[in-house]
Amino acid sequence: MQYLLLIYTNEDAMLSAPKEASSQTLAAYAAYTEAIKKSGAWVASHRLRPTSEATTVRNPNGKKNVLNGPFAETKEQLAGFYLIEVPDLDAALSWAARCPGAAHGSIEVRPIWTM
Amino acid sequence: MKVLLLMYQDERAMQKMSREDFGRIYGAFQAYVEALNKAGVLLGNHGLQPTAQAKSVRKDAVLDGPFAETKEQLAGYFLLEVPDMEAALGWAKRVPTAQWGTVEVRPVWT
Repeated sequence: MQYLLLIYTNEDAMLSAPKEASSQTLAAYAAYTEAIKKSGAWVASHRLRPTSEATTVRNPNGKKNVLNGPFAETKEQLAGFYLIEVPDLDAALSWAARCPGAAHGSIEVRPIWTM
Repeated sequence: MKVLLLMYQDERAMQKMSREDFGRIYGAFQAYVEALNKAGVLLGNHGLQPTAQAKSVRKDAVLDGPFAETKEQLAGYFLLEVPDMEAALGWAKRVPTAQWGTVEVRPVWT
């Protein structure tokens, strides 16, 4: 069976953490990722860039609506994801608007950290 | 650049939908995936099972249900292939962020 582990954290606290604490966290993640890979359970993982770089797209009845910031509607739930490789944010937003989920829900677009 | 498109929707409205509407949406998703593949931009995608199947892990506590803390933000994910929810929760507890944040565990549709 496949499971998705979604990681939530207080982003402001992380971004203002001292350098030493950040490198400790990075090392803990490196060890964790190595352990999962060794066990054979790992399929994919990514770290997301901060929500200040997030964009949310809705496209009800073909009326595209693009908002800066992450998803913030508590009546909707996370239903799935697409990971795509595109040249820039404009290309990502246009794929987001074409996603059928944008017609009846919201698509949060989050750039990924490249390490 | 790599980007993640995260889909949010009213899950109860989806579950109450008529078979016909559901079939139409299913077809729209198939066409969308085909378009992404044709453009060569798709790296991976998954649909998630309803939040009724979700568990959330904080420190050593396992709670039924999805993540529900508005002071935290989605920071990343791991997609794992494991035999069952128990194994998934074992890995969730070991995520470093589980010590100071929350890890939501969601079974993926196959």
